[in-house]
Amino acid sequence: MSEEPEPMDTDNQKSEKMFTLKKWNAVAMWSWDVECDTCAICRVQVMDACLRCQAESKKDYYGKQDCVVVWGECNHSFHYCCMSLWVKQNNRCPLCQQEWSIQRMGK
Amino acid sequence: MSTPARRRLMRDFKRLQEDPPTGVSGAPTDNNIMIWNAVIFEEYPNKPPTVRFVSHMFHPNVYADGGICLDILQNRWSPTYDVSAILTSIQSLLSDPNPNSPANSMAAQLYKENRREYEKRVKACVEQSFID
Repeated sequence: MSEEPEPMDTDNQKSEKMFTLKKWNAVAMWSWDVECDTCAICRVQVMDACLRCQAESKKDYYGKQDCVVVWGECNHSFHYCCMSLWVKQNNRCPLCQQEWSIQRMGK
Repeated sequence: MSTPARRRLMRDFKRLQEDPPTGVSGAPTDNNIMIWNAVIFEEYPNKPPTVRFVSHMFHPNVYADGGICLDILQNRWSPTYDVSAILTSIQSLLSDPNPNSPANSMAAQLYKENRREYEKRVKACVEQSFID
């Protein structure tokens, strides 16, 4: 059992305070939650349409290019179009050679 | 017509010009020692290009027909490789042969057992390519 600190002690600590906090600035940093922002297969940013879709200028109903991003369990990301062509030959992530399985898809 | 393979090649070329690997030039030069050619298919980069030496080579990992025994051009190909990566790999294979997986057993044997004779044969090969 520890003894309760005596009130006298806390007063002493207060008077010995060396600095006071006057102002503090919070800094926030952000990054994409993917390891790479460029599709390593076609070398276009994953947020843009892949080379194939750009060449064919595929557009969806709203006139937007419908080229989604796919994330693997290994957290590597590629265009879905690029990756679907590659996995037909070899079901491994082109970057880390792990067995390819989709974690999620979207933009 | 601009196909995805051609567009990708243009990106490879841009990268080769902007950030060339040491000892590799992205422009035509007139002091080539060995001539080689690469056939790139429309399936590129899902299929590797076929790279072959046109000049006669004396190298443990180059076949008599000029074909190169390099894993990344065969079963270890990944669509993330580009022209710079292929050139860097070939460059590394040329300076650092792998005699344990020979495409030219004579070259591999000389490389392992009689380095002086190996170098003599390579030198003769290079000199011949200047004449051709």
